[in-house]
Amino acid sequence: MPSAGLVFQSVLLGLLLGGLYALLAAGLTLYFGIMRVVMIAHSAFLILAAYLAWWAHRETGVDPLLTLVVTVPLFFLAGVALQRLLLSRLSPVTLTMMSVLLTFAIALVIEGLLGYAFSGTQRRIRLGYSSTSLELFGARIAVVKLIGFALAALSLLGLYLLLKHSRFGQALRATIQHREAARLLGIDTDRVAGYGFGLGLATAAVGGTALSLDSTIYPSLHWHWIGPLMAIIVVGGLGSVPGAAIAAMTLGMMQSLLQIELAATWAQTIFYLALFGTLAFRPQGFFGGRLAQRF
Amino acid sequence: MATVSALAATFALGGCGGGAGSEGSGDDTITIGVSLPLTGDFAEPGKGVERGYKAWAKIVNDKGGLLGRKVELKILDDQSNADRVVSDYEQLIGKDEVDLVFGPFSTRLVVPSARVAEEYGMLFVEPAGAAPEVFEQGFKNLFYAAPAVANDHYNHLAEYILALPADQRPKSVAYSAMDDPFAQGTAYGLKDKLEAAGIKTAVDEVYPPNTTDFGPIAAKIADSKADMVVGGSQYQDGVNLIVALQQLNYQPKIAAFSTAPTSPEFAEAIGNKTEGVLAPTGYTQKADYPSNKEFVEKYTEQFGKAPEEDEANAYTTGQVVAAAVEAAKCASQDEECQAKLIEFLRGNEVETVVGPLKWDDKGRPQSAHMIQQWVDGEIQIVLPEEQKEADFVFPKPKW
Repeated sequence: MPSAGLVFQSVLLGLLLGGLYALLAAGLTLYFGIMRVVMIAHSAFLILAAYLAWWAHRETGVDPLLTLVVTVPLFFLAGVALQRLLLSRLSPVTLTMMSVLLTFAIALVIEGLLGYAFSGTQRRIRLGYSSTSLELFGARIAVVKLIGFALAALSLLGLYLLLKHSRFGQALRATIQHREAARLLGIDTDRVAGYGFGLGLATAAVGGTALSLDSTIYPSLHWHWIGPLMAIIVVGGLGSVPGAAIAAMTLGMMQSLLQIELAATWAQTIFYLALFGTLAFRPQGFFGGRLAQRF
Repeated sequence: MATVSALAATFALGGCGGGAGSEGSGDDTITIGVSLPLTGDFAEPGKGVERGYKAWAKIVNDKGGLLGRKVELKILDDQSNADRVVSDYEQLIGKDEVDLVFGPFSTRLVVPSARVAEEYGMLFVEPAGAAPEVFEQGFKNLFYAAPAVANDHYNHLAEYILALPADQRPKSVAYSAMDDPFAQGTAYGLKDKLEAAGIKTAVDEVYPPNTTDFGPIAAKIADSKADMVVGGSQYQDGVNLIVALQQLNYQPKIAAFSTAPTSPEFAEAIGNKTEGVLAPTGYTQKADYPSNKEFVEKYTEQFGKAPEEDEANAYTTGQVVAAAVEAAKCASQDEECQAKLIEFLRGNEVETVVGPLKWDDKGRPQSAHMIQQWVDGEIQIVLPEEQKEADFVFPKPKW
């Protein structure tokens, strides 16, 4: 039996990890909701943001958090451009399948360019506070993990408020629910979709910066992330941001707790087990499932 | 006198003619075939090995070559790919008809390439396959050109710990190793010895090579409150694990990690909290073996910086093969010649930059690694006694 201390520590680690998963999955589920696009390159953009943070820190010594000022607007614009210039040109009939191919290619291009610019060597930001931690009832919380979690929580809150309480949010949700109907009501769905895509990519910028604080990065790391993230958005119900966040927290926590008894490799399989289970017994996901059912 | 040398020349010619015909290996050169991971996963150490081989060839040629013949390296890039390494050695031996071969980098590439060399009956000295499985394949042509196999890296540390008075000895140990034959070999070699002496294993974790989140493993180690932590690590994983352990404020009495602490970037990577961290090492530039002084000096001249362990092991490979060639007085693919080379190494000791080496019947070198420790902000040899630069710090100061 693992000790109570270890279980508590693992719960904390799971919570911190789940927060990051939640933010990243939110972006991914947004793309699907808006456009029925499967965005394989989401995690590649995540790693790109992490590299930009690492690079800026190495070159100028600025705190990686400051790079957000540049990367968030930059990624937003890149997202809008990506949607308007590439994805909107795909034929609506085969959109979902073709978007897999297109974004797969984008992921490979990003990975290749990162490898070309920075080589395949693993990198890690060296911060004065890398190993600093706070004590909480005998367990330890690393400051860098806490900052990452806070970033994720704030961004998710911001995203939630934006979707629920702004005119743009209403338009975006209307577009997600029924594109034609939204258009009939006078919503410029193309423009809204572009901004929505930009928003999704901006979450990757925040997530990547949070990731870079406490993790090693290398160009092919995004493959390691995309699987769990895809599983999360299916379990959460495709297109549902709160669903993705709840599924992310639950699965992140389960992964962390399973790792007490199992090795790292096996603990990771929880995502795929959850994916199979969901597809077999509740294919529409556990939250906001109507959309996926219709799809 | 003239007759003797004429006779010798005829003999040499005859010897060569009898060999597996050779276009790439004229009388005046010895061609040595190598395949190295110059790109891909093992590119960094692969390039180190390449520099070591090149330094060896230059030093030998500057002195007039081997058996009076110039040494020439033929190096192919296997892209860190095990299938590629096999076809590379097939090509080098079968098509290019090289006279000798040197081994590639890393266990995963050494095993398949050693099999090719064995099929052709060729001597296979290698600089980097230290994991147990290399020596369990029944190879009769393989020799590892370094002081000790992976499982023996921590031998001096094990002796030191077991010699401590019973009340000071660590009572439990946490092991964490990368899922890699070499990294696991180092940690498990020590584990076997300590377990045999009754020291409890508190944690035994294996993680995949691409693991980036060490939080959960560190949590287990910290929770076990083990007196000692042993990491079977390469570089970045070792750094990540140490940072994760520091985040959880885990303070062991002994902390030993393979490879990572000897890297020049290590101290900065873990925020300079290095005091007392241990690592085994097979090579030091400061060793006063005669050939090492020459190697360090000429290598530095050629490449502008001092050699590290990968370079030294590659150079050692060259030295070992050269010793065999000089003793057997031949260097060709000829079966008889290769058999003589193998036979020589089976029964003799060779002086190298990592000290005198001899091998058991499976090709395992019979020396041990030195143990280094971070003392006063510098990594220094602390074990064995006769080579130490600083006293072993025990228990380890807090990090």
